[in-house]
Amino acid sequence: MIDFIRGHYTYWGVILLMLIGMYGMIFKNNLVKKLIGMTIFQVSIIMFYVASAAKWAATVPVLDPAIGAADAARYISPLQHCLMLTAIVVGVATSGVAFALAIVIYRHYKTLDEPLLIERMKAQP
Amino acid sequence: MKIVNWLLLIAFGALLIYGTTGLPNRGDAGAGMHSTRSLVDSPGASSFYIRNALRDAKTPNMVTVILADYRGFDTLGEETVILTAGLICFLVLRRRKKPLKNSR
Repeated sequence: MIDFIRGHYTYWGVILLMLIGMYGMIFKNNLVKKLIGMTIFQVSIIMFYVASAAKWAATVPVLDPAIGAADAARYISPLQHCLMLTAIVVGVATSGVAFALAIVIYRHYKTLDEPLLIERMKAQP
Repeated sequence: MKIVNWLLLIAFGALLIYGTTGLPNRGDAGAGMHSTRSLVDSPGASSFYIRNALRDAKTPNMVTVILADYRGFDTLGEETVILTAGLICFLVLRRRKKPLKNSR
Protein backbone atom coordinates (compact mmCIF):
# COMPACT_ATOMS: atom_id res chain seq x y z
CA MET A 1 0.00 0.00 0.00
CA ILE A 2 2.74 2.50 0.98
CA ASP A 3 4.60 1.47 -2.18
CA PHE A 4 1.48 2.16 -4.27
CA ILE A 5 1.14 5.65 -2.74
CA ARG A 6 4.83 6.45 -3.29
CA GLY A 7 4.53 5.42 -6.92
CA HIS A 8 1.36 7.38 -7.63
CA TYR A 9 1.25 10.57 -5.53
CA THR A 10 2.79 12.55 -8.41
CA TYR A 11 -0.15 11.64 -10.63
CA TRP A 12 -2.60 12.65 -7.91
CA GLY A 13 -0.94 16.05 -7.58
CA VAL A 14 -1.20 16.53 -11.32
CA ILE A 15 -4.90 15.56 -11.17
CA LEU A 16 -5.43 18.15 -8.43
CA LEU A 17 -3.88 20.79 -10.71
CA MET A 18 -6.11 19.62 -13.57
CA LEU A 19 -9.21 19.96 -11.37
CA ILE A 20 -8.14 23.49 -10.39
CA GLY A 21 -7.95 24.38 -14.08
CA MET A 22 -11.35 22.82 -14.76
CA TYR A 23 -12.82 24.68 -11.76
CA GLY A 24 -11.60 27.92 -13.32
CA MET A 25 -13.14 27.04 -16.67
CA ILE A 26 -16.53 26.03 -15.24
CA PHE A 27 -17.18 28.42 -12.34
CA LYS A 28 -15.57 31.73 -13.26
CA ASN A 29 -17.62 34.30 -15.16
CA ASN A 30 -14.79 36.41 -16.56
CA LEU A 31 -13.52 35.13 -19.92
CA VAL A 32 -9.88 35.89 -19.10
CA LYS A 33 -10.17 33.82 -15.89
CA LYS A 34 -11.59 30.98 -17.98
CA LEU A 35 -8.55 31.21 -20.25
CA ILE A 36 -6.22 31.12 -17.23
CA GLY A 37 -8.01 27.92 -16.17
CA MET A 38 -7.52 26.46 -19.64
CA THR A 39 -3.79 27.19 -19.48
CA ILE A 40 -3.51 25.52 -16.05
CA PHE A 41 -5.29 22.48 -17.51
CA GLN A 42 -2.84 22.29 -20.41
CA VAL A 43 0.17 22.61 -18.11
CA SER A 44 -1.16 19.81 -15.91
CA ILE A 45 -1.43 17.47 -18.92
CA ILE A 46 2.15 18.32 -19.91
CA MET A 47 3.32 17.65 -16.34
CA PHE A 48 1.54 14.29 -16.36
CA TYR A 49 3.38 13.17 -19.49
CA VAL A 50 6.76 14.39 -18.25
CA ALA A 51 6.20 12.63 -14.90
CA SER A 52 5.43 9.38 -16.71
CA ALA A 53 8.78 9.57 -18.59
CA ALA A 54 10.82 9.16 -15.39
CA LYS A 55 12.98 6.16 -14.50
CA TRP A 56 14.80 5.80 -11.18
CA ALA A 57 18.63 5.83 -11.36
CA ALA A 58 18.52 7.28 -14.88
CA THR A 59 19.87 10.50 -16.34
CA VAL A 60 18.58 13.08 -18.84
CA PRO A 61 18.20 11.91 -22.47
CA VAL A 62 21.46 13.43 -23.69
CA LEU A 63 24.09 10.87 -24.63
CA ASP A 64 26.76 10.61 -21.95
CA PRO A 65 30.04 9.09 -23.27
CA ALA A 66 30.69 7.57 -19.84
CA ILE A 67 27.44 5.53 -20.05
CA GLY A 68 27.08 4.86 -23.77
CA ALA A 69 23.90 4.13 -25.70
CA ALA A 70 23.64 0.36 -25.25
CA ASP A 71 21.80 0.36 -21.89
CA ALA A 72 18.45 2.10 -22.50
CA ALA A 73 17.49 1.85 -18.81
CA ARG A 74 20.12 4.47 -17.89
CA TYR A 75 18.31 7.32 -19.69
CA ILE A 76 14.79 8.62 -19.05
CA SER A 77 12.42 8.18 -21.99
CA PRO A 78 12.93 10.96 -24.59
CA LEU A 79 9.68 10.33 -26.47
CA GLN A 80 7.37 12.05 -23.95
CA HIS A 81 9.62 15.10 -23.79
CA CYS A 82 9.56 15.43 -27.57
CA LEU A 83 5.77 15.09 -27.76
CA MET A 84 5.30 17.65 -24.99
CA LEU A 85 7.54 20.10 -26.86
CA THR A 86 4.96 19.89 -29.64
CA ALA A 87 2.09 20.22 -27.15
CA ILE A 88 3.59 23.36 -25.57
CA VAL A 89 3.86 25.05 -28.96
CA VAL A 90 0.30 24.14 -29.93
CA GLY A 91 -0.92 25.32 -26.50
CA VAL A 92 0.71 28.72 -27.03
CA ALA A 93 -0.92 28.96 -30.46
CA THR A 94 -4.40 28.11 -29.15
CA SER A 95 -4.16 30.51 -26.21
CA GLY A 96 -2.97 33.25 -28.59
CA VAL A 97 -6.07 32.78 -30.75
CA ALA A 98 -8.26 32.67 -27.62
CA PHE A 99 -6.86 35.97 -26.33
CA ALA A 100 -7.34 37.55 -29.75
CA LEU A 101 -11.00 36.49 -29.72
CA ALA A 102 -11.37 37.88 -26.17
CA ILE A 103 -9.96 41.22 -27.34
CA VAL A 104 -12.44 41.36 -30.22
CA ILE A 105 -15.34 40.47 -27.91
CA TYR A 106 -14.30 43.28 -25.58
CA ARG A 107 -14.08 45.78 -28.43
CA HIS A 108 -17.54 44.88 -29.66
CA TYR A 109 -19.51 44.45 -26.41
CA LYS A 110 -17.33 46.41 -23.91
CA THR A 111 -17.44 43.59 -21.37
CA LEU A 112 -15.83 40.21 -20.64
CA ASP A 113 -18.27 39.15 -17.90
CA GLU A 114 -20.26 36.22 -19.23
CA PRO A 115 -23.84 36.85 -17.96
CA LEU A 116 -23.58 40.52 -18.93
CA LEU A 117 -22.15 39.46 -22.30
CA ILE A 118 -25.08 37.13 -23.00
CA GLU A 119 -27.50 39.90 -22.01
CA ARG A 120 -25.85 42.35 -24.41
CA MET A 121 -25.67 39.75 -27.18
CA LYS A 122 -29.43 39.23 -26.87
CA ALA A 123 -30.07 42.98 -26.82
CA GLN A 124 -27.76 43.79 -29.74
CA PRO A 125 -26.63 40.90 -31.92
CA MET B 1 -26.86 24.65 -11.54
CA LYS B 2 -23.86 25.08 -9.24
CA ILE B 3 -24.60 21.63 -7.77
CA VAL B 4 -24.46 20.06 -11.24
CA ASN B 5 -21.11 21.75 -11.90
CA TRP B 6 -19.63 20.54 -8.61
CA LEU B 7 -20.89 17.01 -9.25
CA LEU B 8 -19.33 17.09 -12.73
CA LEU B 9 -16.02 18.28 -11.29
CA ILE B 10 -15.97 15.67 -8.53
CA ALA B 11 -16.98 12.85 -10.90
CA PHE B 12 -14.21 13.86 -13.31
CA GLY B 13 -11.63 13.86 -10.52
CA ALA B 14 -12.82 10.51 -9.18
CA LEU B 15 -12.66 8.98 -12.66
CA LEU B 16 -9.08 10.22 -13.12
CA ILE B 17 -8.00 8.94 -9.68
CA TYR B 18 -9.56 5.58 -10.53
CA GLY B 19 -7.62 5.63 -13.80
CA THR B 20 -4.28 6.07 -12.05
CA THR B 21 -4.74 2.81 -10.12
CA GLY B 22 -4.06 0.97 -13.40
CA LEU B 23 -0.82 2.84 -14.08
CA PRO B 24 2.61 1.40 -13.23
CA ASN B 25 4.63 3.04 -10.45
CA ARG B 26 6.37 6.24 -11.45
CA GLY B 27 10.03 5.67 -12.31
CA ASP B 28 9.69 1.91 -12.69
CA ALA B 29 12.15 0.98 -15.46
CA GLY B 30 10.34 -2.32 -16.05
CA ALA B 31 7.03 -0.69 -17.06
CA GLY B 32 5.62 -1.57 -20.47
CA MET B 33 6.27 1.91 -21.83
CA HIS B 34 10.04 1.57 -21.24
CA SER B 35 10.45 -2.05 -22.41
CA THR B 36 12.81 -2.91 -25.24
CA ARG B 37 10.25 -5.02 -27.15
CA SER B 38 6.66 -3.85 -27.68
CA LEU B 39 3.56 -6.08 -27.43
CA VAL B 40 3.71 -7.00 -31.15
CA ASP B 41 7.45 -7.77 -30.82
CA SER B 42 8.71 -4.72 -32.66
CA PRO B 43 11.45 -2.63 -30.98
CA GLY B 44 10.01 -0.51 -28.13
CA ALA B 45 9.92 3.14 -29.22
CA SER B 46 11.75 4.96 -26.42
CA SER B 47 14.58 2.43 -26.04
CA PHE B 48 14.97 2.23 -29.83
CA TYR B 49 15.43 5.99 -29.96
CA ILE B 50 17.93 5.95 -27.07
CA ARG B 51 20.05 3.24 -28.72
CA ASN B 52 20.06 4.54 -32.29
CA ALA B 53 19.91 8.35 -31.94
CA LEU B 54 23.65 8.99 -32.16
CA ARG B 55 24.19 6.46 -34.95
CA ASP B 56 21.34 7.80 -37.11
CA ALA B 57 21.68 11.57 -36.70
CA LYS B 58 25.12 12.20 -35.14
CA THR B 59 23.48 14.33 -32.42
CA PRO B 60 23.86 13.46 -28.73
CA ASN B 61 20.58 15.06 -27.65
CA MET B 62 17.88 12.41 -28.18
CA VAL B 63 14.92 14.80 -27.88
CA THR B 64 16.35 16.87 -30.74
CA VAL B 65 16.88 13.76 -32.85
CA ILE B 66 13.27 12.60 -32.37
CA LEU B 67 11.84 16.07 -32.99
CA ALA B 68 13.85 17.01 -36.06
CA ASP B 69 14.93 13.71 -37.64
CA TYR B 70 12.65 10.77 -36.80
CA ARG B 71 9.49 12.86 -36.54
CA GLY B 72 10.44 15.80 -38.77
CA PHE B 73 7.21 15.53 -40.72
CA ASP B 74 5.20 15.77 -37.49
CA THR B 75 7.13 18.96 -36.65
CA LEU B 76 6.26 20.34 -40.08
CA GLY B 77 2.56 19.85 -39.28
CA GLU B 78 3.11 21.64 -35.96
CA GLU B 79 4.66 24.61 -37.78
CA THR B 80 1.54 24.68 -39.96
CA VAL B 81 -0.57 24.96 -36.81
CA ILE B 82 1.48 27.96 -35.64
CA LEU B 83 1.24 29.61 -39.07
CA THR B 84 -2.54 29.15 -39.07
CA ALA B 85 -2.84 30.56 -35.54
CA GLY B 86 -0.74 33.59 -36.48
CA LEU B 87 -2.81 34.24 -39.60
CA ILE B 88 -6.04 33.95 -37.61
CA CYS B 89 -4.76 36.37 -34.94
CA PHE B 90 -3.91 38.83 -37.72
CA LEU B 91 -7.28 38.48 -39.43
CA VAL B 92 -9.27 38.73 -36.17
CA LEU B 93 -7.40 41.67 -34.69
CA ARG B 94 -6.90 43.96 -37.68
CA ARG B 95 -8.78 47.25 -37.68
CA ARG B 96 -11.09 47.47 -40.65
CA LYS B 97 -11.40 50.72 -42.59
CA LYS B 98 -15.11 50.18 -43.11
CA PRO B 99 -16.75 48.99 -39.83
CA LEU B 100 -18.78 45.79 -39.84
CA LYS B 101 -22.55 45.91 -39.86
CA ASN B 102 -24.03 46.00 -36.31
CA SER B 103 -20.73 47.02 -34.69
CA ARG B 104 -20.78 50.08 -32.48
